[in-house]
Amino acid sequence: MENPLRQGIRLEQAAEPCTVVIFGASGDLTKRKLVPALYRLVQQRLLPAEFGIVGLARTEMSDDDFRVKMRESVAQFSEAKTVDDEVWQSFAQGLYYLTADIGTADDYRKLAGLLERIDRERGTGGNRLFYLSVAPRFYAAAVEQLGRAGLTKPKDGSWVRVIIEKPFGSDLESARLLNQQIHASLDESQIYRIDHYLGKETVQNLLAFRFANGIFEPLWNRHYIDHVQITNAEAVGVEGRGGYYETAGVVRDMIQNHVFQVLSLVAMEPPAHLGSEAVRDEKIKAMTAARNFTPERVKAECVRGQYGPGSIDGKPVPGYRQEEGVAPDSTTETFAMLTMYFDNWRWAGVPFYIRSGKHLPKRVTEIAIQFQTAPHQLFGADVMEQVTPNQLIIRIQPDEGITLRFAVKVPGQITHIRDVNMDFRYGTSFGVQLAEAYERLLLDCILGDSTLYARKDMTERGWEIVMPILDYWAGTKGEGSFPNYEAGTWGPQAADELMERNGSRWRRP
Amino acid sequence: MWSGVSEGGDASSKAGVTRACALNLLVYTTPWDDHGRLEDLLERINEQHPGRTLVLVAYRDTATPRLEGYVSMRCRLLGGTGKQICGEQVTIEAGGPLLETAATAIAPLLVSDVPVYLWWKDIPHYEDKLFDRLAQMADRIVIDSAAFDHPYDDLLRLSKMIDDKSRRMRVSDLNWGRLTSWRTLLASFWDVPAYRPLLDEIDRVTIKYRSPQDAPEEIAPKALLLAGWLASRLGWEVVGTAVGKATRGTEEGAVCELRAGDRSIALAFVRDETAGPDDVIISTVTLSAKNGAANFSVAKRTDGSKLETEAQIGSERSVGRVLAYEIRTEAAQLSRELAFLSRDAIYEAAVARVAQLVETIRNQKTTP
Repeated sequence: MENPLRQGIRLEQAAEPCTVVIFGASGDLTKRKLVPALYRLVQQRLLPAEFGIVGLARTEMSDDDFRVKMRESVAQFSEAKTVDDEVWQSFAQGLYYLTADIGTADDYRKLAGLLERIDRERGTGGNRLFYLSVAPRFYAAAVEQLGRAGLTKPKDGSWVRVIIEKPFGSDLESARLLNQQIHASLDESQIYRIDHYLGKETVQNLLAFRFANGIFEPLWNRHYIDHVQITNAEAVGVEGRGGYYETAGVVRDMIQNHVFQVLSLVAMEPPAHLGSEAVRDEKIKAMTAARNFTPERVKAECVRGQYGPGSIDGKPVPGYRQEEGVAPDSTTETFAMLTMYFDNWRWAGVPFYIRSGKHLPKRVTEIAIQFQTAPHQLFGADVMEQVTPNQLIIRIQPDEGITLRFAVKVPGQITHIRDVNMDFRYGTSFGVQLAEAYERLLLDCILGDSTLYARKDMTERGWEIVMPILDYWAGTKGEGSFPNYEAGTWGPQAADELMERNGSRWRRP
Repeated sequence: MWSGVSEGGDASSKAGVTRACALNLLVYTTPWDDHGRLEDLLERINEQHPGRTLVLVAYRDTATPRLEGYVSMRCRLLGGTGKQICGEQVTIEAGGPLLETAATAIAPLLVSDVPVYLWWKDIPHYEDKLFDRLAQMADRIVIDSAAFDHPYDDLLRLSKMIDDKSRRMRVSDLNWGRLTSWRTLLASFWDVPAYRPLLDEIDRVTIKYRSPQDAPEEIAPKALLLAGWLASRLGWEVVGTAVGKATRGTEEGAVCELRAGDRSIALAFVRDETAGPDDVIISTVTLSAKNGAANFSVAKRTDGSKLETEAQIGSERSVGRVLAYEIRTEAAQLSRELAFLSRDAIYEAAVARVAQLVETIRNQKTTP
């Protein structure tokens, strides 16, 4: 039933009463991101009083111990570094903890009992959000057990949703299997596969930028765009996660999920409306048009790399093979460049160059749209020497903003033409701190909006696209002479050479 | 001014100055305003909404013609980059016969193609020509109904002004912004499906408020706006006459009768005599249904730092909660208003109901 008092309350939407159950409550994500995000949502009055949080993990802990721990985390990760006693007490009344093992059926019965008690005590109305912040190998087991305990079936008029963290599978087969397993207990509309990149303001702004402006969309096609570059660079190395990274590599860790989400927003057609299915339909349509990789294409149009010793910010750093948990002869890629094409009317023949890597000179994620050169050059070659084709750069992180690069005449008697930037920076135009991605995504899930979550078809299509690359590289391990780039540089030379062969050049972000 | 900046200083500062302009902020103020405080406030506004600020200081009490202007600029360092983001300020002091024409000195100074906000930082002079001229230049007018020195008269004039379609004014009221927390918390009761039917059975609303200092006999505009909002959103019609001055325990107040179909709703404004910080205007709002069988209340702690909510249905009490109430600075309040440009239809409807309430209360007072 509609709430007439809700209308017009600026920027604030109504969330229904519910209980959030966090699996993996003793983990890092819970204390760094999830509970602080939920606390802020409550303080911003975006969640109702009838709200509860259940932390679930194997560690023995009482409700009170959990509350004390969470209080410390919320204070630590808040700007003020402190929380008010009374306000915390009021929030903490809704915090519960259950010692449980993911594989033990009996623990789910206990959980069901606790949830019913919370429904009675706090009026949470049977609405439940299960957040699986556990190792990927437990996803299927947790969902299966929830299903067996009858916890995945919503009662009349209520809802049950499950958020699944990344990585979603480690290859196409495992992703399909996982989808199959969770679909045994859950309907697709209940599944929220989180990709925190989609919670970022600038990623969401891509939709606004493309479809709320009249001047860009007419140019957004093969007639005006020469090529697109997407850079997703990290300055950090594997940060002690060498063991995990050995089984992953940059294609699995970054490209297949985060970069493809961004890519699909750049390549998609305008949706009919902003409903979650309409937006996600267009994204998958675009990705379906992505040309499949063959071994020949991988060889000619993709580059893999692995960092050797080098330096970042002036400090020496070890090579990947010297990192803890990494095999001394590892062939895991820490850098990858992919050349992608979308075989459709909009993008036929336009290359999308993607690169992602660790220990690159700085942390930056950006999309650069390079437009074609003017059809006829009025100005002489010497005058145009310093001019590059027009570029539109959408910076996702850090220093979020949009830059348009165009040529102007340098003032003076002699005609000289130079590039200038027209800049928009979130920080200068709005001066506001952008909301934490997890806050937005958690609230969206509680509100039942899955636009910013990955759908089943998208996760599987992501794997479908990268599998031939991963297979080819796995089969030709000996061909890569790793390490092939120094930490603190923009990746292997082969990535620059590939661009040069195509008559282009990587932008220096 | 800007070429001076780029020529002076060392190479690093030259490279680092960026002018940014997201809006024109036109501030109308008086000589007796605290200008030091205003400068601090504009400094903070410029951080969030860089742009051109035009301050018009109006000397209304002098017959001597006066029109003086000076220019300054305002810069801040952009975190971590060493770059400075700068905007400029033009201050114009006008008095005597030149005050009325000051608007023509301002018009050419507005940066084109970015919105113009007029912040009317004074008591309302809504009928005068200067206001009219400045308002015509503005895309949105920011006022503060908490500063009304004759709340009833001023609210009626405000309502008339908004209602005058030929003027097509879009108004932001800082006092309305201060009600957002109250409105959000009151609205959130009805997000609970089990409570929702009770919204259509409300029969009494009690708003406890502190009287305005300038007009202790009148009800605080903030309390009236909250009542106007409830009445307009819930389709409660103000019945022509008030049912009389009510006494409830030791508390005194006015009671208005409202109607939704066959249902009668008593709207009681109860004066809160306890002392507290200046910004605590509303202390409690209670919505009751079924003759007091269900009560939904939001209360502000005496020290103004927290809000407490509670729902009680029969003998059952729901989960109450305590939330921090961030006392927003005037700069933060204004900054929030500068983010909106469109018409606020909910506010306009609330003001229209406030006008009806004020007329009803006045009639009741004049009726023996």
